[in-house]
Amino acid sequence: MIEDRAPTRYEAAQKVTGAARYQGEVRAAGMLHAALVTAPMPSARVLGIDTARARALAGCVEVLTHENALRIPPAAFLTLLQEPVVHFAGQPVALVLAETPETARAAAALVEVRYAPMPAVTALEQARDEAYAPRTAGLTATDSRRGEPEAALAAAAVRLDHCYTTPTHNHLAIEPQVVLADWNGSDLLVQTPSQAVFAHRAGLARCFGLDIERVRVISPYLGGGFGSKGGAWFPCLVLGCLAAKQLGRPVRLELLRAQMFTLVGRRQETVQQLKIGAARDGRLAALLHDTVAQTSTYGEYADPVATPTRMMYACPNVATTHRLVRVNAPQPNPARAPGEGPGSFALESAIDELAYKLDLDPIELRRRNFADHDQHAGLPWSSNGLLECYRAGAEAFGWARRPSKPGTLSDGRHALGWGMAGACYPAYRIASQAAVRINLDGRVEVRCGTQDMGSGTYTVLAQLAAEALGVPYAAVDVALGDTLLPEGPYSGGSMATASFTPAVEDAARRLRRDLIARAVADPRSPMHGRQPDQVSIADGVMRAGNRSEPLIELLARVAPQGIEAAANAAPNTKPAHSYYGFGAVFAEVRVDPDLGEIRVTRLTGAYATGRILNPLLARSQFVGGLIWGIGMALHEKTVMDKNLGRIVNDNLADYLIPVHADMPRFDIHMLTEDEPHLGSGGVKGIGMLGTCGTAAAIANAVFHATGRRIRDLPIRLEQLL
Amino acid sequence: MQQVAYHRAASEDAALALAANHPGAMFIAGGTDMLQLSKQGVVPTQLIDISRLPLDRIEPRAGALRIGALARLADVADHPDVRRDWPALAQAIAASASPQIRNLATVGGNLLQRTRCGYFRSADLPCNKREPGSGCAARDGENRLHAIFGTSPHCVATHASDLAVALLALQASVHVRGHDSARVLPIAELFRLPGDTPQRDSALGAGEMIVSVEVSRSAAARRSCYLKVRDRASFEFAVVSVAAALEIEDGVIRSARLAAGGVGTVPWRLVASERALAGARAEPAAFAAAAARAADGAQPLSQNGFKLELLRRTVRRALEGLTDA
Repeated sequence: MIEDRAPTRYEAAQKVTGAARYQGEVRAAGMLHAALVTAPMPSARVLGIDTARARALAGCVEVLTHENALRIPPAAFLTLLQEPVVHFAGQPVALVLAETPETARAAAALVEVRYAPMPAVTALEQARDEAYAPRTAGLTATDSRRGEPEAALAAAAVRLDHCYTTPTHNHLAIEPQVVLADWNGSDLLVQTPSQAVFAHRAGLARCFGLDIERVRVISPYLGGGFGSKGGAWFPCLVLGCLAAKQLGRPVRLELLRAQMFTLVGRRQETVQQLKIGAARDGRLAALLHDTVAQTSTYGEYADPVATPTRMMYACPNVATTHRLVRVNAPQPNPARAPGEGPGSFALESAIDELAYKLDLDPIELRRRNFADHDQHAGLPWSSNGLLECYRAGAEAFGWARRPSKPGTLSDGRHALGWGMAGACYPAYRIASQAAVRINLDGRVEVRCGTQDMGSGTYTVLAQLAAEALGVPYAAVDVALGDTLLPEGPYSGGSMATASFTPAVEDAARRLRRDLIARAVADPRSPMHGRQPDQVSIADGVMRAGNRSEPLIELLARVAPQGIEAAANAAPNTKPAHSYYGFGAVFAEVRVDPDLGEIRVTRLTGAYATGRILNPLLARSQFVGGLIWGIGMALHEKTVMDKNLGRIVNDNLADYLIPVHADMPRFDIHMLTEDEPHLGSGGVKGIGMLGTCGTAAAIANAVFHATGRRIRDLPIRLEQLL
Repeated sequence: MQQVAYHRAASEDAALALAANHPGAMFIAGGTDMLQLSKQGVVPTQLIDISRLPLDRIEPRAGALRIGALARLADVADHPDVRRDWPALAQAIAASASPQIRNLATVGGNLLQRTRCGYFRSADLPCNKREPGSGCAARDGENRLHAIFGTSPHCVATHASDLAVALLALQASVHVRGHDSARVLPIAELFRLPGDTPQRDSALGAGEMIVSVEVSRSAAARRSCYLKVRDRASFEFAVVSVAAALEIEDGVIRSARLAAGGVGTVPWRLVASERALAGARAEPAAFAAAAARAADGAQPLSQNGFKLELLRRTVRRALEGLTDA
């Protein structure tokens, strides 16, 4: 097993012993504790805030409101405590600062806010007529069009036209958002779980009119993020910093679980109309995919829902649109597999429907529509292992034994069903710096200001440096999550690893060349006079022919202060290829036909994502992504009461996520794939891909088990009664 | 965060005396619900900790099983006599919460846990049960998981306990003590319909506490089961559940007891279904007839109409399970 050779998690011992200090555990001398006062209705003007009773509480130090909070310029999404307007229920209208967290919360309960309620849109369907076109859909164009989709659809031999819906989700990382903000003069130290320390630094510097060097953001460990610890966290993050500046003391603000449903983003609800026109042989003639999704009344965000529809299959006539409806609800933002997750539910369900309509095997239908290049971008694929994923996944799953007719597999009184779906996610890459240093004692230090969300960044940074330099993995120390380090990529969009890998490898190779150059130039070295290309380094020992010398002995002579090399890797600004990771996911479900209960019993995923740095960690990423897919298919839904404009399941008892008993057997296959063009050292990101297609594979399996086509997520038992 | 006065009771008598002297105080044992309520802002101001009292015995006796109010759920479910002679109890508990919670939660606390209604659980949403007179937002709101039996204009929240449903089917009695009183009541009388006072969940008077629960031995208890239907495989409250107990002699049903969870504002006895079974042969036709009556009298809300049919099917499945070889 290749897993046997993969290094285990770099920081495992720290985490399981509690030595790893999460930012929620950090304290500062003299710090104040903050508590938010939040609005109970979805739309209002604040008429007045009486803070007298709160201030009278012993230990309450200050209450900040829009009337007395420092003015700061507008930033990401919403700047809080700047105006007497309530845009959504749960919006902070005051911040209480006290000597203890208990006092802060008690005082927050004593703040009396007078509101003038305003008309509110509390559900997407209430304002469907007012849907508008956003500026972008994620990083993609709002609309797309090629060929003559309407005419091709009208002329198609086979047509499908269905509406698919996906609900609001919340990220709900196990670790709540927290910030400890500490000013020293005009220097700001921010300790917070951040998916983007440099972006947070830049945002904070701008808000407080500082040079970026005056701000330091530290984030060594995160207890998950999934998109909720980047820009969406910024409004509350800046609030903690504002309070610390205004009060002249360190301030700690930690969100409550319920506040994680309103203040740190959400996956937006979507309503997707998907029309397919096809020939009798299954070849796609037309795809039309129109998405309406929720955004807030003050900010704009649209997931790139139509991405798979634009590029996954060969189709000459494609039109896609994204529209938004403003709802008095929290601001959506990217959540794991943003866009491609909900979008692939619609597309891969619809392709499955087409397969049944044509009486074609769903894989065969997909093979016939394989896109040999990206028809949306008009570029060749840098690499595309989709066909191999179909093959390998089908073989591992036993797909060949699948009866084509729904409702034919059973296990006792339970119906069984098999379904599959394709998966795709863009392989992004952004600029990254990194430095690698070797010290006199032989310890190697990798420095890269990226973050580890729990996905394994520490481990792969150490691995990359160890391999490229030729030292044992155990000799490498990693520093990340700090803006004093070389600027690394943010952790999101499955792009961090593909971004820092070339930088770390380049830095380590430069260091290696430097060490060899110094050795061959050193008369006291056994390598003296050799050609550099005759010299190798492995396990911390330099060798040439039958001569060898440990690096530490070389360093003691030529560089007792150690040697460092740095590198900067940036992507090609005019790519000649289209970059995606692909996969195929296969699901087996067990349905109680009388009671409607659905359980996923097997998930097989085959993925082609370039070079896998660490199979243990990569498998864990894919499994995590698949679990998100199970939740999307069967469990997760943020429930909003339309009369009140309030979320009524804002806790982990009532917002269902898959629990251990819901876990199927996971069978993950990572295919060998050469990725020569992305410039990422062959790496493609994998964090999102497991979530793509999974909900569709499960829904398709439910259809195969029951003959019921469910187009609204999550699939609830009453839909199968 | 509210200030909470905390008293630790040294004995049963001391606990009752504390309760008599501190009107409005609540007993806390496992605390698995109380701590959630306090985090969600539904906070008592005085707590009397009874968790250390010796009320945790599980005693299978000649005629009945007596379970101390402070017996841990996990211990009851794992008890070999309970598993053999009162399987519905063991099954109901095994289907409750998570192992961690079952290790802490007590029998008495489980019966008196408060509703999972999301409006009740949020401190500032309208809810007559939490804030009498504030209105019932669930009735015209998000009510997929709410009750179809026993509702009133003031409250449609379900009772959340699995164990209570099984105890109702097994005709348990509840031993209650007050400062200077002691009484025994059938478990059906422990729970109060919401009526126009939904803030009162139980028939316990001020300062009263449950000291034990008693369930008779019977052929029906031995042939009993608990079937729970839910949206995920574990750690979730019932969408619908059914406890069933049948006494069968020579293929004929001598007595039948059926109770349902997830459907009533209190654990709900399915009387019409029981009648349909009594005296009938223990065969699929009788089970179907009983199932057909399970939702008699139900009053569905806007989102939970499916519970009627789901309840019928769950009853049928439970009954079939009791007669499967």
